[in-house]
Amino acid sequence: MNDNVLFEVKGLCQSFGGCNLVLDHIDTTIKKGEVVVIIGPSGSGKSTFLRSLNLLEVPTGGTILFEGNDITDKKTDINKYRQKIGMVFQHFNLFPHKTILGNMTLAPIKLLGKSKEEAEKQAMELLERVGLADKANAYPSQLSGGQKQRIAIVRALCMNPDVLLFDEPTSALDPEMVGEVLEVMKDLAKQGMTMLVVTHEMGFAKEVGSRVLFIDDGKIVEENTPAELFEHPKSERLQSFLAKVL
Amino acid sequence: MNSFQSQFYDNFIKDNRYMYLVKGFGTTLLLTSFAVLIGIALGFLVAIIRSTHDKTGKLKFPNLICSLYLTVIRGTPAVVQLLIMFYVVFASYNNSIVVAILTFGINSGAYVAEIIRSGIMSIDNGQFEAGRSLGFSYPQTMLYIIMPQAFKNVLPALANEFIVLLKETSICGYIGLMDLTRGGDIIRSRTYEPFMPLIAVALIYLTLVVVLSNLVRKLERRLRTSER
Repeated sequence: MNDNVLFEVKGLCQSFGGCNLVLDHIDTTIKKGEVVVIIGPSGSGKSTFLRSLNLLEVPTGGTILFEGNDITDKKTDINKYRQKIGMVFQHFNLFPHKTILGNMTLAPIKLLGKSKEEAEKQAMELLERVGLADKANAYPSQLSGGQKQRIAIVRALCMNPDVLLFDEPTSALDPEMVGEVLEVMKDLAKQGMTMLVVTHEMGFAKEVGSRVLFIDDGKIVEENTPAELFEHPKSERLQSFLAKVL
Repeated sequence: MNSFQSQFYDNFIKDNRYMYLVKGFGTTLLLTSFAVLIGIALGFLVAIIRSTHDKTGKLKFPNLICSLYLTVIRGTPAVVQLLIMFYVVFASYNNSIVVAILTFGINSGAYVAEIIRSGIMSIDNGQFEAGRSLGFSYPQTMLYIIMPQAFKNVLPALANEFIVLLKETSICGYIGLMDLTRGGDIIRSRTYEPFMPLIAVALIYLTLVVVLSNLVRKLERRLRTSER
């Protein structure tokens, strides 16, 4: 087993209601430090693929090895692994009844057993990094969409995860707020964070992606470095997709 | 005016008749408070079982029992439940106050359960997913993330249920308990003057309800701070 491998996905299948396959035998490997961007038309299964990596969708077939452990095994305590797999959602999903600091320290205090001071210190450092330290005691409803998403990212970082999953992190944002969120993500990528990003931001994919997966109809149709994939798409499906989005 | 004074004297002062109201008031409060506690405990339990079943499909058998409980309790009048509990279920047990507390608690639990369940179901599924993705287990997510939000949303409905319960305890005279309503009625039967004792009873209930509503409004406002 290679130490550098984070996720090893073998024959991953997912079907809702039994009839059609949303994910059709996906095989891929995610290495540490990679920024993998997942693109594809809506309904292609790219979000489902991402969500199955931390078992928010339980796969109907195949295995997912995370750091060498089969997390699809019923005996695995998935909550332990989820602590190492951060997730950022399209709709932020901040906890509205907690302050920003409360949002960020809840899991570290309850799950990692950190003291309140310790957790808050770490949270404040992260807030400084994304330029939102002044919002520490605000409630989510007082923040703009871009600010909420930056908080959602640092909330996930508070658990010191080994990988971050982004499920269309900028799709629910006003256009002028997309930039501030992408900035934070680029920053993370530079620091060597392993990231899987489902997105429609092709610019982001080109700039920071170390690899791009194109998923259509539940299959990985093409995967390559961003330069190759965008400049020389091989499959017809990818060519027509890129023609529409670029 | 003179007749008002003498009526007042007859109904409340003479033979210490006001004590019927004071003691009755005590019984009503005691009955309501303990019934509320049982109602909340039972309601939470049933609501969690039902919503867990709705969300995950687990707990099939407990869910079936809960559904049966809700159907029976909500489908029959409280007076009938009280009489059945006193004369059938606890026929050989004579402590009517305990029977009444149990009956009203079990009755209220059914309504509380559905109120809380609607609160849980009203929370966006994204909140569940956010909690689970951070590594919280299902019960932890419920406790730290869903319940505080759900509780805030259903607080007005919950308060309403307890106000209804407070007034509903007035039927406990059926099994011989001397609550506020019964106290007023006893005075009426002694003085043959229905106006004063019954209006007094009504005013006491009204005051209690107004005070309770105000307390809840204050609590609600405090919980709303996060939505400024």
